Amino acid sequence: MEHADVLVVGAGASGGVVTGALADAGFDVVCLEQGHWPDRTDFPALRPTYELEARGGWGGNPTLRGKPEDYPVNETGSDIATLMYNGVGGSMVLYAADWPRLLPSDFRTRSLDGVGDDWPLSYRDLQPFYERTDRAFGVSGLAGDTALPPGAEFPLPPLPIGDGALRMARAHDRLKWHWWPAPNAVLSRPYQGRNACAHYGSCMQGCPEGAKASTDVTHWPNAIKAGARLITGARVSRILTDARGLAIGAEYVDTEGRWHVIKADVVVLAANSVGTARILLNSASPRFPDGLANSSGLVGKRLMVHPFANVTGYFDEPVDAGGHVGAKIVSYEYYETDPDRDFVRGAKWSLAPTGGPLNAALPSRAGNSVWGKDHHAHVRGHLGHSLSWCIFGEDLPDEANRVEIDDSLTDSSGIPAPKVTYRVGENSRRLLDFNIERAQQSFAEAGARRTAVESLMRFSGWHLLGTARMGDDPATSVVDGWGRAHDVPNLYIADGSVFVTSGAVNPTSTIVSLALRNTEHLIENRREQRIPG
Amino acid sequence: MTDDNLRRWLGGVADELIPAGDGMPAATEAGVAGGQLDLVLAVRPDLARALNRAWALAGEHEPAPALRLLADLDPRAHQALLEIVSGGYYTSSLVRRLLNYTGQQPVPVRPEDHPAYLAEGLLDRVVERGPVHRDPDSLSRRQ
Repeated sequence: MEHADVLVVGAGASGGVVTGALADAGFDVVCLEQGHWPDRTDFPALRPTYELEARGGWGGNPTLRGKPEDYPVNETGSDIATLMYNGVGGSMVLYAADWPRLLPSDFRTRSLDGVGDDWPLSYRDLQPFYERTDRAFGVSGLAGDTALPPGAEFPLPPLPIGDGALRMARAHDRLKWHWWPAPNAVLSRPYQGRNACAHYGSCMQGCPEGAKASTDVTHWPNAIKAGARLITGARVSRILTDARGLAIGAEYVDTEGRWHVIKADVVVLAANSVGTARILLNSASPRFPDGLANSSGLVGKRLMVHPFANVTGYFDEPVDAGGHVGAKIVSYEYYETDPDRDFVRGAKWSLAPTGGPLNAALPSRAGNSVWGKDHHAHVRGHLGHSLSWCIFGEDLPDEANRVEIDDSLTDSSGIPAPKVTYRVGENSRRLLDFNIERAQQSFAEAGARRTAVESLMRFSGWHLLGTARMGDDPATSVVDGWGRAHDVPNLYIADGSVFVTSGAVNPTSTIVSLALRNTEHLIENRREQRIPG
Repeated sequence: MTDDNLRRWLGGVADELIPAGDGMPAATEAGVAGGQLDLVLAVRPDLARALNRAWALAGEHEPAPALRLLADLDPRAHQALLEIVSGGYYTSSLVRRLLNYTGQQPVPVRPEDHPAYLAEGLLDRVVERGPVHRDPDSLSRRQ
């Protein structure tokens, strides 16, 4: 039977970082990934059917996409549909590569605002790891943003923001509102053997240039050179435990339907907040009847996905919003709590392009469709004449928002599938409504002829967080401040499940920084690590 | 699936949705019920089922009432029909040429040495206004 020092489940953002760090330190690491290597030549960017494919097989919802490596999610009880990609690189393959950090207050929401919980670490603790992962992934940006404490320069200069974002920056200058060129994990210059961005504008359906950072291009090649073993097409059903309650490995099924067991001294889950919760709950046993690492009852609970609103501004003049899909500029003007408002916490705004002609005819975000004689004028008024403020609202943790195991739904291997229950809370609704009004004001100042609003976008569950929160108290958290399960001392969680609160920013930068920090702690403390056998 | 009768019906519906005008061709002139339909269904086979359903439900109706009927009876089939028509139209090379839309063409990024926002001092003023974040250690924030 195959054995490894460390078994990692999931080859996405955190799985790639964890495996790379362990392999570099000389550990024998095996990673099981249910998907496969993405084939860059198959990405749809270069095909005229790009926009059509983006709404089909290259969409983010695994249930609609329905590829063999995907698993269905019962989301009938959820306001927001989850989005992910199952393959090497994980959901980074389909993300927009916005690369913001959490703000210092995000780690102290209980102390500052009386909501959520404080993290067992601070921004200062994570800052050195943010700076290291910026270099490892190749981040383009401009230091000095007043939304963050001072820190190191980004390794690459910022991407061009285009005339459209410049127009919005001037508007915010007149309003005296914050704005800053957005940091993106997209190369503005060639870097570490990778090409610079070619501005295909197809980031969310795979980058054909390899300029957008995802661990399949940034981490896995080196991890494999360092000796890591990556097994693709390997879908984990459960983590196995011994009589002492230690993890001893995992059971998985390959693409031919053959079942295997792999043993390991340490197991690291890196399968995203839905996938990790699913595996833990599916790993219930007589010793762990409510699921593995779940003595707190919190596995699967406190799911946070960032309620997302969209405001599109339409201009009479052409506005250049081409290039990479991620944020051109960001605004943190309404991020922090203001006691004069009827909600706490806030939102981050990202200015983004609005897509091609199909998206003009049939908007996937804010906007409407017009058919008949006015169709052509409508499309021309959108295409090349519109910009979008993407509003990410902070999600306060709520145990009612959760991942469970569905009573009857299974994946194609017969493994019980997850069921997601998620409702937008009252604080989030007020928060979004406030920010929508301000975004409309922003566009009005910039000279927009009109705006369109999508007050909550259903297919916006990119950010899956919080189903196995970290904390010092085993009664109120699943893992400790280093990602180790309180109940199973050789089981770690490395993905966004461990987030205590969500902040209101795209989380990948924080996920990988935490993963690096916690893996290095594991390595430093290897001699104290309890292992089976 | 792509029976001639279905194509004729689809063509009528498509021209109802996207008629000729403003220098642009009607949907059928762009091949939406012809080769473009084959292209759309080749990359989006998931739409074929809804198209069949739409035809079964509304195939005997004239375009405008057919669309109204589908919106009432089967919103998913209605939505799929819109996607098939607009998807076929906006992947047409003729339509793209008339829109001056070139698709996802590579354009090398050239980071500007001194972008306009620096030249105009826009960021200087952001910095002058001070931090917009709260520091939990000092709770400082600009007023």
